[in-house]
Amino acid sequence: MRAIDWCRSSAGAALVLATSSDEQHPAENVADGSSETFWTTTGMFPQEFIIGFPKCVKISKVAIQCYLVRTLRIERSVSKDPVGFQQCIEKGKILNLNQQGFCGNNVLSFSATYLRFIIKSGFDHFVSVHRVMAEGTAENT
Amino acid sequence: SCQVCPKCCARDPTVGKSALAQMFRNDGAHFQKNYTLVSVQQAQTEFFIFDSAGKDLFSEMLEKLWEQPNVLCLVYDVTNEQSFNNCAKWLEKLRAQAVGVHIPGVLVGNKTDLIGRRVVEQKQAQEWAEKHGLEYCEMSVKEMKNFEAPFHILAKSFHQLYKEKVETFHSLA
Ligand SMILES: Nc1nc2c(ncn2[C@@H]2O[C@H](COP(=O)(O)OP(=O)(O)O)[C@@H](O)[C@H]2O)c(=O)[nH]1
Ligand SMILES: [Mg+2]
Repeated sequence: MRAIDWCRSSAGAALVLATSSDEQHPAENVADGSSETFWTTTGMFPQEFIIGFPKCVKISKVAIQCYLVRTLRIERSVSKDPVGFQQCIEKGKILNLNQQGFCGNNVLSFSATYLRFIIKSGFDHFVSVHRVMAEGTAENT
Repeated sequence: SCQVCPKCCARDPTVGKSALAQMFRNDGAHFQKNYTLVSVQQAQTEFFIFDSAGKDLFSEMLEKLWEQPNVLCLVYDVTNEQSFNNCAKWLEKLRAQAVGVHIPGVLVGNKTDLIGRRVVEQKQAQEWAEKHGLEYCEMSVKEMKNFEAPFHILAKSFHQLYKEKVETFHSLA
C-alpha cells in the first residue's frame, strides 16, 4: 500500500481543536497542503492543536514546518474520540526551524486516529506552524 | 484574540498593585479571577495576571513564575521614593531572564490622590520610563482613577507586537 500524507484536509484530516484562533490564521492552515498559509499562536505557552484522521492509520513519518518553536511534543490517540492521548514524539530543542525536518529522518511506526501537537515553548511570544505531515498507510482492519 | 501574561510587580509591599490587580480583574464581581479581558482595535486581549510581591525579588519561585512573560506592569507608589528606585531592580531582573525577547512594559505611578505626600515627580518618572523603553501612566486605585490605563497600554503594545510578528511569518513563508 502506498504511503500518503494523512495531515491533509484533502485526505480527510480535520482540525478538532486549537488553543489559538486568529481567524486570519486558523489552525486549518496547517493541513491545507500549502507552506504559504500558517497558524499563529497568540499568547501564553503551551499551545496546541489536534488533527483527526478519517480512520485509524499507521504512521511512519512525522514532520512539521514552523517558525520560532522551541520545544514541541507530539501525542497520539487511537480512540474514536480525541481522548486518551499518549506521547509518541518529544524533541527538547528544534534546531532547524526553516526545514521540514522535525523527526523527518526517523522511521516511526505507530497507529493513530488523532495527533496532538503541543508547543511547549517558543523563542518569541508568538510562533507559526505552516504545515504538518504524517506519512503512513491505512490500517487493514 | 491575544492571550497576554503580564507580571504585575513592585518591590515595596504597599504600592497598591494587589489593589490594582483586584480592581481590574473583578469588575465589581465578588469572586476572584486571575484573568481579565481588554479590547483593542476589535482584538480581545486576555490577561493572566501574576502579582509578584516585593519580597519575591530574590525568591526562586519568581523565576518559575516569570518564565516567558509577555508584558510587564511595574507599579510604584508616588509617595515612596524607595518603591520607585526599586523598579530598576525589577526591570533588570526581568530583562536578564528574557534575553533576546522584547517585553513591552508600562511603569505605573499609583496613589496620585495623596497629593501632599507625593515625592516622585511625574517628569522624573516619565523620563526614567522612556529611557528604559517603557510606557508611563499614573493612577489612583483608591479613587478608581485611570486604573484601566496600564492594561490598555499593554494590550495595545502586545497586539502591535503580534501584528509585526505575523508580517515576519508572511515574509518567511
Ligand atoms: N491612598 C491610596 N492608597 C492606596 C491606593 N492603592 C492602594 N492603596 C493602599 O495601599 C495599601 C497597600 O495596597 P496593596 O494593593 O496591598 O499593595 P501591594 O503590596 O503593592 O499589593 C493598602 O492599604 C491600600 O488600601 C491608592 O491609589 N491611594
Ligand atoms: Mg482563551
